[in-house]
Amino acid sequence: MAVIVWLASALPLMAKTAEDQLGREIQIPDDPQRVVALAPSITEIIFALGQQERLKGTTQFSNYPAGAAKLPKVGSYVRLDLERIVALHPDLCIAIKDGNPKETIERLQSLNIPVFAVNPRNLETMMQTIQRVGDILNASVKAKTLVQAMRGRIQRVDALVASIEQRPRVFIQIGISPIISAGTNTFIHELIVRAGGINVAAGQKAYPHFSREQVLALAPDVLIITSMSRSGAFKKAEADWRRLIDTPAGLGKRIYTVDSDVFDRPSPRLLDALETLTRLLHPELFEDGS
Amino acid sequence: MKSAFAVNHLSYAYGSQPVVQRLSFSIARGEIFIIIGPNGAGKTTLIKLMAGIIKRQRGRIDVLQKSIDSYSQKKLAQVLAYVPQGLPVGFPFSVEETVLLGRAPHQKVLGLASAEDLEIVRQTMAFTEVDHLARRKLDQLSGGEQQRVLIARALCQQPQVILLDEPTASLDLSHQIRIIDLMEKLKAEKGVTVVMVSHDVNLASMYADQLLLLKAGKIVRMGTPSAVLNFETLEETYNCQLLVDSSPLGNLPRVTLVPRKFLKS
Amino acid sequence: MNLNSEHHISRLAWLSLILLGVLLIAISLGLSIGPTQSGLRSALATLFSPGESDPVLYRIVWGIRLPRVLLATIVGATLSLGGLVFQALLRNPLAEPFILGVSGGSAIGAIIGILLGLSRFPGICFTSFLGSLGTLALILIMSTGKSILRKDALLLSGVMVNAFCSAIIMFLVSITQDARLHNIIFWLMGDLSASDLPQVAILGAILIPCFVIVFVFSHAMNLLMMGKDMALSMGINIRAVTLVLLIVTSFMVSATVSFSGLVGFVGLVIPHLLRLVLGPDHRILVPASLFGGAAYLVLCDLLARTLPQQGEMPAGVITALIGAPLFIILLKRSRK
Repeated sequence: MAVIVWLASALPLMAKTAEDQLGREIQIPDDPQRVVALAPSITEIIFALGQQERLKGTTQFSNYPAGAAKLPKVGSYVRLDLERIVALHPDLCIAIKDGNPKETIERLQSLNIPVFAVNPRNLETMMQTIQRVGDILNASVKAKTLVQAMRGRIQRVDALVASIEQRPRVFIQIGISPIISAGTNTFIHELIVRAGGINVAAGQKAYPHFSREQVLALAPDVLIITSMSRSGAFKKAEADWRRLIDTPAGLGKRIYTVDSDVFDRPSPRLLDALETLTRLLHPELFEDGS
Repeated sequence: MKSAFAVNHLSYAYGSQPVVQRLSFSIARGEIFIIIGPNGAGKTTLIKLMAGIIKRQRGRIDVLQKSIDSYSQKKLAQVLAYVPQGLPVGFPFSVEETVLLGRAPHQKVLGLASAEDLEIVRQTMAFTEVDHLARRKLDQLSGGEQQRVLIARALCQQPQVILLDEPTASLDLSHQIRIIDLMEKLKAEKGVTVVMVSHDVNLASMYADQLLLLKAGKIVRMGTPSAVLNFETLEETYNCQLLVDSSPLGNLPRVTLVPRKFLKS
Repeated sequence: MNLNSEHHISRLAWLSLILLGVLLIAISLGLSIGPTQSGLRSALATLFSPGESDPVLYRIVWGIRLPRVLLATIVGATLSLGGLVFQALLRNPLAEPFILGVSGGSAIGAIIGILLGLSRFPGICFTSFLGSLGTLALILIMSTGKSILRKDALLLSGVMVNAFCSAIIMFLVSITQDARLHNIIFWLMGDLSASDLPQVAILGAILIPCFVIVFVFSHAMNLLMMGKDMALSMGINIRAVTLVLLIVTSFMVSATVSFSGLVGFVGLVIPHLLRLVLGPDHRILVPASLFGGAAYLVLCDLLARTLPQQGEMPAGVITALIGAPLFIILLKRSRK
């Protein structure tokens, strides 16, 4: 008898099966009421879908939008706090493949907590992520609208960029020490290409390291530094680069700082990043104020 | 003669350097046998070879008329005890705990002490006159007291032979005498064979039944003190000026060092 | 004289009971304290009367806290015993369980496993274990022949191998990309959170025979205190005893570290502390180290996960923060 009670309270209402973005068939509740988002990007997506009522917990750096900051925190997305997650008694966790430790996900599942995994690798699969998350949270219509709007924005940028004459060489720095940039299989690479630039760090390695001299040798026309906060370290990095006037970027004074939360997270704000980047790379396209 | 030790062509080299070369001698039971010689003669190595601590490379050693190889390590420890010059720094046990360790060859693997073990410990501590120091930590004692404790520990093994490496080195005079008297007592009361390394030739001559004079790993002379301690032999062995006469204590040779200023030119 | 056997056995029994009691208290605290508020009674209730307890708490205690606390118990016991044995074998008060290359070898094994993207169990545990066996073999080969009995040869080889491994580790860390670097660093500082009950049970099953073997040799360790020559003359087969203790201890430390990472200072401080309080007899120190080390690590791990407001510290940080000053105090005490 005790066992049945235990099982019944441990297993949420199993009503539907869904396939997550890793191709796994997961049993999830029909109407999830206690969702825990295991990455800041997932938190943003859930808010964008208007489903924040279902959200009971997020990871440490889920700082957008403002409402997310008030939610209980379950550790960071690379180091999840198992006990805090379980304590929230979730009926569904949404995990991200790139970052969440596999062992923790497996332990959550062994504790009978369903985990739906997403795997956004580029803009297209990210929009699929948004649709899937919308589907399992019973917000399919909202998701579809959102995705359509996003596609519209992408098309507008594509149209603008189609008319450019020259593609500037771009170096986006995402780490200070050592200097790290983004290779071909990353969001940042895709943003650069779509925004009409050439990623000088393109290559097989997803996050290659560079020495200062190597960056100079690549002679980027535009240098962009993503920073996590307006902290001193990043300001200094920016200042250091400015002193190097022998790069085209330095000469042209085209060194910029952007918010890494917007550029690094596979969330709807990536479209903001795309538009910002296009503006930075091709100011001439926007001279008329559009 | 029932022999305690019979050594035949014993050899040992350290790498390519010979330390002990083809030694042959025997020691009778109940004898006090003292090994003397200059530094580097191989005395310590010899006594360790006899104790089975170092494995010989060539030759034969018989302990109590049986080959040393026929004894297991534990059986050997039940007939033969070894007393080093001192214990490692930081040895943490008290006097009575140290002496009790000596019962190990007769105990089982965990070394739990029986009533008999404790009685033997009490007796040997009384015999070596360290019973009043029972609870003290070994490293708090003087050199002489430590030596007596180590001897007590050795006696707990109830050995028939006891091997000591320079037991009187760095002891003051009264302690030196006490150790010597203890050795005599062992021989007289318990019939234990005592084999010792000593650097003090005069002390050795006073109570050795047999002396073995060793130089560069070879026997120079072996026999009674009177036979070994003569002028020519000693001068050549120790390579210095000496005077040998008769001790005022009796029919014993007495060796006196002769510093340069006493030499008549 | 109060050295007789009965007294010894009863002293051993009493001490074991007391320390076991301390350990049980530590375990109870470990099970009942965490981000989820619960009292001691409700936490223990999940263990003894699961039917009547809160299912969420049940899941937390059985699925998360119990494996963690049990792992801390086993790891603390092993490391503490390992330190005791190496301090006896090498007759060096600075000896600790990682000194014979275990830290270097297991870390390299673990890092390679992490870089290869292996799962934690059995993948990374296995590579880490192989790594430390590799360095042990290297050290044994370097100290072959008679010199294995010369404690300094072993010690020196161990220090050299660890230093060399550190260099390799630095290199591997420098070429690693972000996400996996995180895992490596946590492994290097000790991580008790990653095992579940079956894994802990396997580790326990492997280790308990090792504990028994070491206990059997505890009087031999007493005799070893007299020095190699003396112990030989007392009938101890030095070569066999040294080899067995060396291999069994290295094996158990390696197995432990492959599950928990490098938790420092347990093996260094606890044996010294116990020696100060209980005396130098290894027949008492062996069981005392097991219980004492276990209790210490359970409590340190408790602090590691309750002190920080967000997230948790690696257990190795707490053991070092407490252990280092404690060690200095002990050192000063023993000088007097």
